[in-house]
Amino acid sequence: MRRMLIGVALAVLAVPLLLAQGRGPAPPTGPAPKLANGNPDFSGVWQGGGPVGDLAQGMPKGESIPLNAEGQRVMASRQSKDDPEANCLPTGVPRTAPYPWRMLQTPTHVFILFEGNIHSYRQIFIDGRKHPVDPDPTWYGHSIGHYEGNTLVVDTIGFNDRFWFDFRGHPHTEKLHTVERYTRKDLGTITVETTIDDPGYYTKPFTVTFTGRLRPGEELMEYICQENEQDAAHVKGPAGTP
Amino acid sequence: MKTILRGVALAGFGLLVSGAPMSAHHSFAAEYDSAKPVTLKGVVSKIEWTNPHARFYIDVKDETGTYTWNLELASPNVLSRNGWTRKTLNIGDEITVQGSLAKDGSKMANARVVTLASGKRVFAGSSEETPK
Repeated sequence: MRRMLIGVALAVLAVPLLLAQGRGPAPPTGPAPKLANGNPDFSGVWQGGGPVGDLAQGMPKGESIPLNAEGQRVMASRQSKDDPEANCLPTGVPRTAPYPWRMLQTPTHVFILFEGNIHSYRQIFIDGRKHPVDPDPTWYGHSIGHYEGNTLVVDTIGFNDRFWFDFRGHPHTEKLHTVERYTRKDLGTITVETTIDDPGYYTKPFTVTFTGRLRPGEELMEYICQENEQDAAHVKGPAGTP
Repeated sequence: MKTILRGVALAGFGLLVSGAPMSAHHSFAAEYDSAKPVTLKGVVSKIEWTNPHARFYIDVKDETGTYTWNLELASPNVLSRNGWTRKTLNIGDEITVQGSLAKDGSKMANARVVTLASGKRVFAGSSEETPK
């Protein structure tokens, strides 16, 4: 009887999880694949790998985000309605939308294709070029990358200061410099470690780690956020709650 | 025993309909109040299978007149991946909606459970249920 009860409870608890993930099969297990040249192979459709609601969820246990006084002031002043994400603007780095994405690797470029919010892409140069000197600021910045063993390392500067790191409104300035380390731990798991260095609003660099999961059998779908955005006008109150 | 089983099932259903608030592109808690549940009965007048949220509108009659309510669902992508389509709901359908009211007092709500006149539940999984 007890076993049956546990079975029922587990089955019932699994429903929201299955719903949340859609109707795909569970992420597969097995070793991480490699490209013919030995570099890690990030192919597949992924979900997660960055903060959605709260950047602090990516901090090591017991550590808090080292905002300086000005960063705290800016964060405390933010209103939910002004979140660029709510207004169909890009997430920037390292924030992710709760929608799938795909990484496309070529010998000279890596592209990250985002299904949602917004339906956009990042471009990472892996052809050995350097950052331009003092680039004009953009939402995704200027990214250069290289492989280190099983990891793709992406260095980005030239961000604008408009995107938020999460629903809570963690801020940054144009001084932001990120170093992301993408590692496919196994067939179904990718970790993204991002070191955030922004002396404008933080007292020291810090690193957040988020995990993404493979969504086998999925393809990216169209998602044009701007076509019928009605929420921002009804969103109230300070940024803070997911 | 039956009561316990029913209790477990209800607890699970509660999870299913309330979920962990994690809206798609905006803070759920900043727009809707999950502590203000609402049940609306009406006729579907318009369906928008659009982003960032699919929406449908229903005409609800009460003693003071007929009012149009704007109901928010998840995005079409999330709904499609859960097996729903643009034709799941049709203009003229008589439905009952359970959801959370908008905080600003407008005639808007986040639809959690939509029940057709036949008793069939559709769109289980609102924007509170988007993938993490």
